[in-house]
Amino acid sequence: MQATETAPETDVRTDEELIGIVVGGEVDCFEELIIRYQPRVFGMARKYFRNESDVEDVVQAIFTKTHQKLGSYKGTAPFEHWFMRLSVNTCYDALRRKRNRPEHTISDMLFEDESWQDRLGNIPSDDDHEGLEQARELVHTVLDQVSDRARIVLTLQELEGRSIREIAGITGWSESLVKVQAFRARKEMRAAVERFLIKEKRL
Amino acid sequence: MKPHDVNEYGQMKANETEQQFLKLAKSVQNDDRIPVGFAARVMARIREQHALETSSADERFLRFARNLSGNEHVPYAFEKRIMARLRELLTPDPLTVWSRMLWRAVAPCLGVMLLAVLFSAGEPADTSTGQAAGELETADFETVMLASFDDLEYTW
Repeated sequence: MQATETAPETDVRTDEELIGIVVGGEVDCFEELIIRYQPRVFGMARKYFRNESDVEDVVQAIFTKTHQKLGSYKGTAPFEHWFMRLSVNTCYDALRRKRNRPEHTISDMLFEDESWQDRLGNIPSDDDHEGLEQARELVHTVLDQVSDRARIVLTLQELEGRSIREIAGITGWSESLVKVQAFRARKEMRAAVERFLIKEKRL
Repeated sequence: MKPHDVNEYGQMKANETEQQFLKLAKSVQNDDRIPVGFAARVMARIREQHALETSSADERFLRFARNLSGNEHVPYAFEKRIMARLRELLTPDPLTVWSRMLWRAVAPCLGVMLLAVLFSAGEPADTSTGQAAGELETADFETVMLASFDDLEYTW
């Protein structure tokens, strides 16, 4: 008798299968999609917002919007791309709404014990939670100085290492517009860094 | 001359020379001439230095931000919270349904109103009996409105 080896049956459904079920009326299956994508969405939202309640609000808005617009997902591109585009756009909208409410100033981020330039040389390890928190605060403070568009482009291009084409796909802007925005974003960021340097020299 | 006197004489001579030299040095005018374009040259150097400093800080900042590990921590049972919110959104609120129905009724109502206006405007107005009819309608209206009060009077 020949032993037949059957492949272990996996009940992991693909994104597209889940979407089909949810659109068909089974709302509960959407929870599986949330569980699948929430760590990434939280990681992304924390790049734009420092306040944890703002992060939670924006993540909730992303998933609510996803559920509402799920019917418009055509399935021509991977769900992940469609979802990331929606997520980034929701973050951008939330950033615009939150504008003119700076939480930290440059002076808050200047340290007595070392220059902030020196601090940039010391990337804290994953175990150093306090150091990581301070480092993230520093990044937020610099990025808070630039415009929302510049922040989106800087985060996608410089921090996440995405290409111009990918950014164009995510934001819905043309590639040439992304290039212009990227150039402006670098300029704005340089100006923000310069302000830090000047402020530090004055102190 | 004793050796001691020779030393004293030499010392005096040296002091005198030093004084003379200082006098001469003081009398020399300061040379305030500035080389052509000196300020511009210095400023260019300062700008260059500053640009280097800034661009290096700029690069360092980006490297720093890029290498920071992201925080993907998810609050406990967050998905439950979203699902509860979604179910809440999916459950129709009677007030919302009612207001939606009212809004939907706006267009047909406006249409009916417009038709009624057009219909009444199209009818020829009867000017001869208009005033009398108007008076009659007013009297009828008053009777109807005060009918309940008239009934009250009878009970007294």
